[in-house]
Amino acid sequence: MNKLKSAITYGCLTKIRPLLIFYLVEYGLFALVTAVVVLCTGNFMPNTSGAEMSSAVCVSILGALSFREDFKVFLQNGFTRAYIFLSTFCSFLLMSAAMALIDTLLGNVLHHFINYITIFGTVYGYGNLFFNWLLLTFMYVMFCSILYLSSLVINKVGKTTSLLIGVGIAGVILLIAALFRFVFSPELVGMIGRFVTNAFGFMNDGTVELAFPIFTFLSVGVVFGLGSYALIRYTELK
Amino acid sequence: MGAIQIKGVTKRYKNFTALDDVSVSFEFGKIYGLLGRNGAGKTTLINIISNRIFADRGEILIDGIPAKENMAVHDKLFCMSETDLYNRDLKVSEHFKWTKRFYSEFDLDRALALSEKYDLDVNRRFKALSKGYQSIFKLIIALSVPVPYVIFDEPVLGLDANHRELFYSLLLKEFEEGERTFIIATHLIEEISGIIEEVVLIDKGKILLEDRVESLMEKGYSISGSKAEVESYCAGKNVIGSEELGGLKIAYILGEKDALPKDSSLQISAIDLQKLFVKLTGKGALQ
Repeated sequence: MNKLKSAITYGCLTKIRPLLIFYLVEYGLFALVTAVVVLCTGNFMPNTSGAEMSSAVCVSILGALSFREDFKVFLQNGFTRAYIFLSTFCSFLLMSAAMALIDTLLGNVLHHFINYITIFGTVYGYGNLFFNWLLLTFMYVMFCSILYLSSLVINKVGKTTSLLIGVGIAGVILLIAALFRFVFSPELVGMIGRFVTNAFGFMNDGTVELAFPIFTFLSVGVVFGLGSYALIRYTELK
Repeated sequence: MGAIQIKGVTKRYKNFTALDDVSVSFEFGKIYGLLGRNGAGKTTLINIISNRIFADRGEILIDGIPAKENMAVHDKLFCMSETDLYNRDLKVSEHFKWTKRFYSEFDLDRALALSEKYDLDVNRRFKALSKGYQSIFKLIIALSVPVPYVIFDEPVLGLDANHRELFYSLLLKEFEEGERTFIIATHLIEEISGIIEEVVLIDKGKILLEDRVESLMEKGYSISGSKAEVESYCAGKNVIGSEELGGLKIAYILGEKDALPKDSSLQISAIDLQKLFVKLTGKGALQ
């Protein structure tokens, strides 16, 4: 258990420096943009937004780097792949929770003072800080899982095959779009649409179930996480 | 008695077999030299022992415990690799602290003392170190983790003569202080011949030879003289190589020495480990 704890600590503490730099740059840029808008327009409510998406991009990069950088370090230090997987996903959860907390608190405070717009606030309204934090946490974990699995796949199959897989995925997306446009009946499209809106918490009776989007992000994260575990078990040092 | 036991390990890549049904044992309390030419399979074997890659067939036991994906062997084995598996952005001192967290028995004071001996600046980041100092850093960590089995893969790569000597003396001192097993995979046979007790020679993915250095030195010899006399002496013996110059011939033999025939002009000489290695791996396989 101590070994797992030390691996989780390593996974988190070695990411603090890049995270601090990220937040300094992000909020520095945000302050600069706000100042420019205020100076140019005299509007003290500049309607800026986007911190969560930047965080999602940042956390995705950290997800990818977790494999590229940490996997070899853990192998050097005698950890098994099961331990590496567990510690990595615990680190993802902790990092995501911390970033979600920062984004939730800052987003809501800024919204209060300068009408800053958060994704959660835009979609589900402001005021529910706990669900805002929880949803962002699982959204970030999901992004980490997706990029972690992608890194494992790239490592496994090589760059050329990965590019071909990427082209294949793009083709499937186009195919699905075409199916929706030309093949599926309006009833089926409506049913799928309702399923997706339900998955994001918007129920047919007009109510909003905040637990649903959290469950959706968690489910996608778990699916990609399980995929990662299935792959990392057979991943060798290159 | 404890040992690293390698049982029937095979590892294949697309176009070639890196290890072919390798079985060998590294017993506790000895210093081994794992010798072999480039691409012989040394690093593949080391990587399988340390769970970095997987064998296609066979198994590794460390003190009777299966080594594959098993945290129970974490505190039994440490492997210093030729490749860099460390976070390049961390400082040396930070690496020491993390190693202390991963291996609770890691001797931090010893690591710092060794750093001073080697003039390694612990405040420098790993990526800022020269190739030689990166090797020194890895050696210091390996020497400060008090596990029963330590594997060094090309430990003195990029080190100058003074630092190499220092490493060998530290290794011997460490061995004297506490009984452990050191496995040294290297090309610099001449340098390690004085410190290793046992030799495991690997070639083309197969174990060519597994013996004590002392007994190997006794068994290996060269015989020189006229071509006809040398050939007559060598009949039925395990000749691992030969050289000819005009009517003279020198043959390298591995096996028991026979007494020289009466009035013979033949001369028997001892051969060093490096020569033996070159002849054995040059020949490809033992008879």
